[in-house]
Amino acid sequence: MRESSYEDLDKMFNAEGFAVIGASSVRGKAGNQIIEYALEMDYKGTIYPINPTSETILGLKCYENIRDVPGQVDVVVVVLPAPACLEAAKEIVERRKVKGDVTGVVVVSAGFSEHSPEGEQREKELLEILSPHGIRLVGPNCQGILDTYTGVNTSFDVGGYPRGGVSVIAQSGAFSASYLEWAHPLGLVGLSKFVSLGNMADIDVIELLKYLEKDERTKVISLYLEGTPKARELIETAAEVSKTKPIVVMKTGKTHLGSQAANTHTGSIAGSDEIYDGVFRQAGVIRASTMSEFYDTCRAFGKLPLPKGNRIYILTVVGGPGTICLDELSVKKEIQITRLSEKTKRDLKEVLAFTASVERPVGYTDMTGAVSEALHQDVIKMVLSDENVDGVIYLTTPPAFLDQRGLAENIVAAYKSFPEEERKPFLSVIGYGYAVAECRKILEANDLPTLEYADIAAQVMTNMVRYVEYKNRSHK
Amino acid sequence: MMKSKKIIDRNLSEGREYIPEFEAYAICEEFGIPYPGYQFVGTIEEGTKAAEALGYPVVLKIVSPDVIHKSDVGGVIVGIESKEAFTAAYEELMQNVKEKAGEVTIDGVLVQKAMPKGVEVATGGLRNDQFGPVVMFGSGGILIEVFKDVAFRLAPLDKAEAKRQIEDTKAFEILKGVRGAAPSDMDAVAELIVNTGRLISELSEIEEIDFNPVMAYPNGCCVVDARIIVKKRV
Repeated sequence: MRESSYEDLDKMFNAEGFAVIGASSVRGKAGNQIIEYALEMDYKGTIYPINPTSETILGLKCYENIRDVPGQVDVVVVVLPAPACLEAAKEIVERRKVKGDVTGVVVVSAGFSEHSPEGEQREKELLEILSPHGIRLVGPNCQGILDTYTGVNTSFDVGGYPRGGVSVIAQSGAFSASYLEWAHPLGLVGLSKFVSLGNMADIDVIELLKYLEKDERTKVISLYLEGTPKARELIETAAEVSKTKPIVVMKTGKTHLGSQAANTHTGSIAGSDEIYDGVFRQAGVIRASTMSEFYDTCRAFGKLPLPKGNRIYILTVVGGPGTICLDELSVKKEIQITRLSEKTKRDLKEVLAFTASVERPVGYTDMTGAVSEALHQDVIKMVLSDENVDGVIYLTTPPAFLDQRGLAENIVAAYKSFPEEERKPFLSVIGYGYAVAECRKILEANDLPTLEYADIAAQVMTNMVRYVEYKNRSHK
Repeated sequence: MMKSKKIIDRNLSEGREYIPEFEAYAICEEFGIPYPGYQFVGTIEEGTKAAEALGYPVVLKIVSPDVIHKSDVGGVIVGIESKEAFTAAYEELMQNVKEKAGEVTIDGVLVQKAMPKGVEVATGGLRNDQFGPVVMFGSGGILIEVFKDVAFRLAPLDKAEAKRQIEDTKAFEILKGVRGAAPSDMDAVAELIVNTGRLISELSEIEEIDFNPVMAYPNGCCVVDARIIVKKRV
């Protein structure tokens, strides 16, 4: 990575102004959507649409050419047919020569190396135009960058978004945009940065990982990876970054290494997927095996503190989901299903209905449906304050006779009764899912992740414990 | 490492990418990788002396630049318990090869100490453009390709990481000792992984390594079959 890499990326995420070449006043066009979403952000800088045939676009003054823009332009988005991108790049270079600004260019357009040999040539030319002048390239074939804190947004899929600690790096913009939009209505994800890298002709996943390691607003890095020829460098970088913050990865593409190595058993069973599996573990990277595990693990890391140990407790209102969770948790070798202290046990028995099962089996308390909104607060406090407990999975439907708002507020009150440094990860499995949106929104807004599936919750908690184990043994 | 480098260079200069087994053991020796005692002999007399020195039972393996798949031509005879049996086996070995492989160059015979059964595991290594040197550990024997109970790591690696690599496999459960069996020497297996990792990362001509099976015992472990594939670097 070159010396200036951190500064380049930092300048882009903190752009004082950004221009969109190919901005459009026609609804439904990418060049229009980008402006619309950019306007949804809380952005203090200036957005400059560039279009020779429009006066204004969505109320913003339009410029004929990038060279005409009066203010500082740190980022230029190019959304033009692929062949026209080269001409635009030359104009950007002209501007840079005169004004000295423009740190980065985001080429949204497709039709480059992902498409054809001509496209590959075009991508090469694009770099040859920009790189000698120190202008960095995101893409092509991407959505570029979004920062919820600075308000810079070049994406055509994601607009204004709740802030938080998750930074999303995507080789596929569509996959990650799906995640973010799926999560949006209930506020399941608190977002810091969203970067869609596309073809990675210049800025790649390795450079971005190094940047996000230092970024204080990034608590967890969510990475969708299709592949990179620089796998070893990626893993070595990830191993360093993981000492500071978790990386959760969804890695696709189960390609075989094929003829490259097949003279031995080792060679014939080694697909890149099997190797990735092992080396991610070596590097402390959490690799999710399903989309739901990936979705939920990223957001849990984003909102919750890390567990201090591996002793996990299950607190449930409902038998079935509680049992599924216990089953799943009990086969994880990283997890110790913990025993409550005698005092907590006594306290629980005192307040819960006689039908409740306290510590039957060990590590598991079924409060039954008789537990009221207010009693939730007391019970959760008791379990969270037990020194034998490092993390809790709470499960409910919740029963229809409970008040959603009241329930959520009591859970939040219990959680927040602890000073921040004493808080423990607390996952809520809400069986009714989207049907109890109000309850979930309140919990989520207070950084308490709500999940739908008991087995996934067990996996998410295991992922957190496993990450901490890596962090503790390899701390910087 | 100098000795190993010489062995590899000589094989490459002779156009061989598959290191003969007894030379693979010489490479093992330099990297602290345990292998069964062996001697390379040219006559029955040398052979029986070697067998006595190594201790029965022994295994005989033909050494010929023209025979890569030894078993296919009856070039391996196992379970030789005595001097009498040795003489018979030696003659049988020569006869087998002559019958099935024809008039080939025979460098000699490898007399190798037969190793007792242990827990069968495997280590290996490979090098590729994406990942560079990588080390493998898993369940060994002929089941390796069916069950694919293996775990990979970037090489080189330390012993603690090698232990975590073992824990990633089902072989770990067997090594711990099942149904009353004594636990295997996990430390020795981890050390073997570390050394296999050193081997693949320090000798850049090596493309692939297969140590399969490796016998793991309550005390130590031993590579019973070794394959090393090399390639000229340009």
